[in-house]
Amino acid sequence: MAAIAVIVIGAWFLRPPMSWTFAILLVTGVVASTIANGSYVLRRLAGLVPVLMIIAFFTFIIINALPGDLAVNILGPGATPQAVEEINEELNLNDPVMSRFGDWLGDAVTGDLGRSRILQEDVADGISRTFPVSLQLMLYAQIISIGLAIPLGVWAAYRAGTRVDRAINTAAFGFLALPNFILAVLLVLFFALGGISVFGTQVGVEWLPAARYVAFGDDLVLHFKHMLLPALSLALGQVAVYMRLLRTDMISTLQQNFIDLARAKGMSDSRILWRHALRPSSFTLLTVIGLNIGTLIGGALIIEFIFTLPGIGTYVFGAIIARDFIAIQGAVLVISAGYVLTLLAVDLLYTALDPRLRHA
Amino acid sequence: MTDQAERHAPSTTYSGTMGEPAIVEVEEEAADEGRKAKRKLGTFFWVAVGFLAFIVLAALFADFLPLKDPGETFRGRSREGPTGEFWFGNDNIGQDIFSRTIYGARVSVFVAGIATIIGIFFGSLIGLVAGYFRGRIDAILTSSVDLLLAFPALVLALALIIFFDNEGDNRRFWLTVTLGLLSIAPIARIVRSSVIAYSDREFVQAARVLGARDGRIMFKEVLPNVIPVILSYSLVFMAVLVVVESAIGFLGLSVPPPTPTWGDMISKGRNELEGAAHISLFPAGVLFLTVLALNYVGDKLREFFDVRESVI
Repeated sequence: MAAIAVIVIGAWFLRPPMSWTFAILLVTGVVASTIANGSYVLRRLAGLVPVLMIIAFFTFIIINALPGDLAVNILGPGATPQAVEEINEELNLNDPVMSRFGDWLGDAVTGDLGRSRILQEDVADGISRTFPVSLQLMLYAQIISIGLAIPLGVWAAYRAGTRVDRAINTAAFGFLALPNFILAVLLVLFFALGGISVFGTQVGVEWLPAARYVAFGDDLVLHFKHMLLPALSLALGQVAVYMRLLRTDMISTLQQNFIDLARAKGMSDSRILWRHALRPSSFTLLTVIGLNIGTLIGGALIIEFIFTLPGIGTYVFGAIIARDFIAIQGAVLVISAGYVLTLLAVDLLYTALDPRLRHA
Repeated sequence: MTDQAERHAPSTTYSGTMGEPAIVEVEEEAADEGRKAKRKLGTFFWVAVGFLAFIVLAALFADFLPLKDPGETFRGRSREGPTGEFWFGNDNIGQDIFSRTIYGARVSVFVAGIATIIGIFFGSLIGLVAGYFRGRIDAILTSSVDLLLAFPALVLALALIIFFDNEGDNRRFWLTVTLGLLSIAPIARIVRSSVIAYSDREFVQAARVLGARDGRIMFKEVLPNVIPVILSYSLVFMAVLVVVESAIGFLGLSVPPPTPTWGDMISKGRNELEGAAHISLFPAGVLFLTVLALNYVGDKLREFFDVRESVI
């Protein structure tokens, strides 16, 4: 089983543009965990094979079991019989579904996801073109939200029950109810377009650009300026989630005996909080961060749409609007595979972080 | 579903899939006091309930209320701010934003409401069976649920909506069905874990010893205990689905114009943010308050029924 897993996942690397995105995911998980337990990692990777197969099958079936003729679906209602015939020929649509699935999967395993007729581009190329943007967005959002949530969560737990704690909690509850696309609109309004005037005074500034993407390599400062608002739109809601989780876990950690012992030894509060209580309180937080990373691997469709970032969310949305079935199929497969792989990587990181889980 | 599904997507968060956090016993006394304090619902709870009732009733009876026609364009009033006659002001072509917001609630509240009911019905059934029988049935159901969660929910929703209803003739129906189907998996997951917590309790064992059939135990002994959990989560789920529906509307794929939807109104107003920000801000504010109220009522009910997070 392990050998099959290595072959299948290794096959992604045969195609250079795809390789590095998956490499990041895999290397983090594998490196961190081989330190812990090598054969366990292989077993887990092997377990992914059936999962990925079923995901591929679902993806394929969803597109191909649609009502109506697929060729007509691709071309639109006004298709000439001749064009339909051509498409059928080109995509082998006259073959039985299962044999087409076999062909598609065989190609997909080696990184060939077919060719988009609308974009005149290989789907794999389109995905590797857009994936980095989504990864950057995900990364910045996570950095911001973790950077804000940990101090807030620790502080709220330390001051549990006080006015500070209640204020932080109320704000967090409000942010939870603020959909990220509304947050994005608000941020654009108040930080890019100069805000609104309240009784004659202008509330808001024009510090940041409202949309568009600037590549990391083109202009570093401009890149971060353009990415700040989209990253914040994603991050602020997550801060609320992370902070609440950390606070709850931290409060129960602080009631444990070893904290009392540390206190009895005369250790300072800040040392107790940061060095003793934080790490055992962070496991639920890690799980949820992992889930969020897994979700955002697939791009933040609506945020990318608002800020016109050329990420995978924009790619897949364009494909949906254009009824570009081949592209949707490929993108959904890659996004789901990315999600599953990220969850595995996080899971393996756990074993590296918490020795107790290694032999469980 | 996530972001938000949120989330956004649709994005509710679940804990405990991997390393279980160490469970710590909270000091009994403090817990008891806390529970007593939590037993009260509070003023804000009723304010939130009142707001939700207002939204639902206004959406239901929008046709009979003295509202302006949501499609009527008032000449010379485009981009005007709020006045006594037009409470939320007018949009870029002069339509009444207040009346459009109320009519927009129809789509959001009913699509999300019915989708939640679909999700709750099938999700509870799956969760009940999986959590009660455990063993192989549980393994199969749980892994299919996990598989479904691997798919990007918003992408899948958009794709299905476009496939089944490209022209937008029947968007309301397909939107509801799609969102309902997509919420089955996460609901099943929550119901399962709380069913597990109950199916080893003494009263269930007692029923089993008395010779009750599985079906009877599931529906007469376990289900009534799980219903409060389902109820409080269903409100939070509805909040997620309201957001998802608005997100889809924001992307221009909810019920097509001339029917007003919150997402579409917010999206259209984006072009007018400079100078006439109220076009976006009023529907956005109502959406925010609706989600806030749903979350708050759901949370309070959960505390009221004393659903402890550690169980889930």
